[in-house]
Amino acid sequence: MKFRAKIVDAACLNHFTRVSNMIAKLAKICTLRIRPDKLNFILSDKLASGGVSMWCELEQENFFSEFQMEGVSADNNEIYLELTSENLSRALKTVQNARTLKIKLTNKYFPCLTVSVELQLSVSSSNRIVTHDIPINIIPRKLWKDLQEPLVPDSDVSIYLPVLKTMKNIVEKMKNISNHLVIEANLNGELNLKIETELVCVTTHFKGLGNPPLASQSCRDRSPGELTEVHIEIKKLLQFLAGQQVNPTKAVCNLVKNRIVYFDLLHEDVSLQYFIPALS
Amino acid sequence: MLKCTMNGGQLKVFGKTIQALARLSNELWLDPSKQGLVLRSINSSCSAYGYALFSPVFFEQYQWSTSGTMNHDDIPLTLNFKFTMQFLLPIFKCLNFLERNVEKCKMFTKSGKCRFIIQLFCKHSIKKTHNLRFEESRPIQVLLEKNMCTNILVIQPRLLAETVVLFPSNLEEVTLAVTSVDFCLRSSNEQAADMNSSVRSSMCVDRDEFDFFQIGLDTEVTFCLKDLKGFLTLCEAVRGPVAIHFDFPGRSSPARARLTLGQSRSSQAAESISRKISRKRLCPTESPPESGAQENHSSPLKKRAPSREQPDRECSPVFRRVSTERLG
Repeated sequence: MKFRAKIVDAACLNHFTRVSNMIAKLAKICTLRIRPDKLNFILSDKLASGGVSMWCELEQENFFSEFQMEGVSADNNEIYLELTSENLSRALKTVQNARTLKIKLTNKYFPCLTVSVELQLSVSSSNRIVTHDIPINIIPRKLWKDLQEPLVPDSDVSIYLPVLKTMKNIVEKMKNISNHLVIEANLNGELNLKIETELVCVTTHFKGLGNPPLASQSCRDRSPGELTEVHIEIKKLLQFLAGQQVNPTKAVCNLVKNRIVYFDLLHEDVSLQYFIPALS
Repeated sequence: MLKCTMNGGQLKVFGKTIQALARLSNELWLDPSKQGLVLRSINSSCSAYGYALFSPVFFEQYQWSTSGTMNHDDIPLTLNFKFTMQFLLPIFKCLNFLERNVEKCKMFTKSGKCRFIIQLFCKHSIKKTHNLRFEESRPIQVLLEKNMCTNILVIQPRLLAETVVLFPSNLEEVTLAVTSVDFCLRSSNEQAADMNSSVRSSMCVDRDEFDFFQIGLDTEVTFCLKDLKGFLTLCEAVRGPVAIHFDFPGRSSPARARLTLGQSRSSQAAESISRKISRKRLCPTESPPESGAQENHSSPLKKRAPSREQPDRECSPVFRRVSTERLG
């Protein structure tokens, strides 16, 4: 198994750092899948994550000037490895004044992802090389089936999200009142966030949000004003919102009544899908 | 008997020094002498020792006289004042506030009563008086050697600070590895490797970035990151170059590393802080690490031009060792 990649463009470096920061906020431990054309950060819906799952995909040629990989075998030209996402984002913190970033798979005493940054602080100073060896676990082939791209269910309602920062502020305050939240939306561009306790009910209404074009037949049969709701844990929604430091290029929320909420985001060219199951 | 005064800016530097020394230990030794006021602290395992000398020119006014105590040979006994940091630190808690509001600070001892008075004359005619008790104790003097260290580096503290930021805050030890062409600081993590263990980081710096780079002996020294961080916080306040002297004289004695703070351009302070750093054994066949308070002490650096060709290596006075720990 081999993997070597290099980033030389400053904008790509910063973008990669932002993606890694976002992943670090969304999942403590995640899987990185390396393929010849793309990289994926995966969180599968095991019990440990409370049923939440994530699929983040980026095209490698949008970032790396050099990219070489050799998977487990010729038939299975992929690498699956597990790492603590915060380690990667912390390693990339030094990227501010970097000229180049190199990532490779190494085996120094134990398997790691070696991130090596060449810094140049000023024109006159010479280069400094910073190396971080991030310990990883290689995931054996028999476990790969759990880490495939999730099947996206047909949603009852799809709606564009409001400014995520606003949404995050509201949900943060709601967290103090209740552990559960109802998220509901319709095809008229209306989204509501509701919490209900014995003493108080609080609802925040977002209007005029717009809906993406209708995807499935079931959507077309619905009356536009009909609200679909899903009960979820506030903490999971908040964790998702906290991970979005920058407003995405596109953000869609899909609701499947009483089953799941999933968010479909696009940060420039990086796609993120985040699934939160409904409370039973 | 000690009496000295300083202004707000000098008080800030003084307070920063105390804070840096507080990272080592809960006890501070204050030792006034003709050469100036010395602050010392040593950590509990005797593997790090901090020393700061404020020469009389640092203060607005500095008066010192030998105490009335004599030993049985009628020779005046130089005694240290030993303070507990816990009671001293709160006085220097908000240094920026002190710098802005204190017009004058007077510090003096009350003879015969083991009392140290700190008076802060602040704006709006506010006067704060702190009355601290100290113990008179024998100084923690250290054995010094006059031999020259083979490895000498002089750098701006900013460089070290940038490197230190790289490492996770819970990291205990770092290893400094030098060869004749480069300088490398890396995390030393001996734990069993699994995914949850820490990232191993290292930063290599080219020799051109140093003001002075002389490596006679390729070596590796391991020390506690926390001690270094405390020292670097002080360096930022004083803004002078840092000289690192270290070597590896042989198996019989531990490696010593001394970080010396250079002349600050802004203030008249002449200060030096020394730290003894214990060498971690890399090879199991060698004898266990020494942990005595063996130390190199540099004499105060007088006003010098900021870019110096040669770091200060004036002869240091040799003190008699009072501690009974065997250094081997």
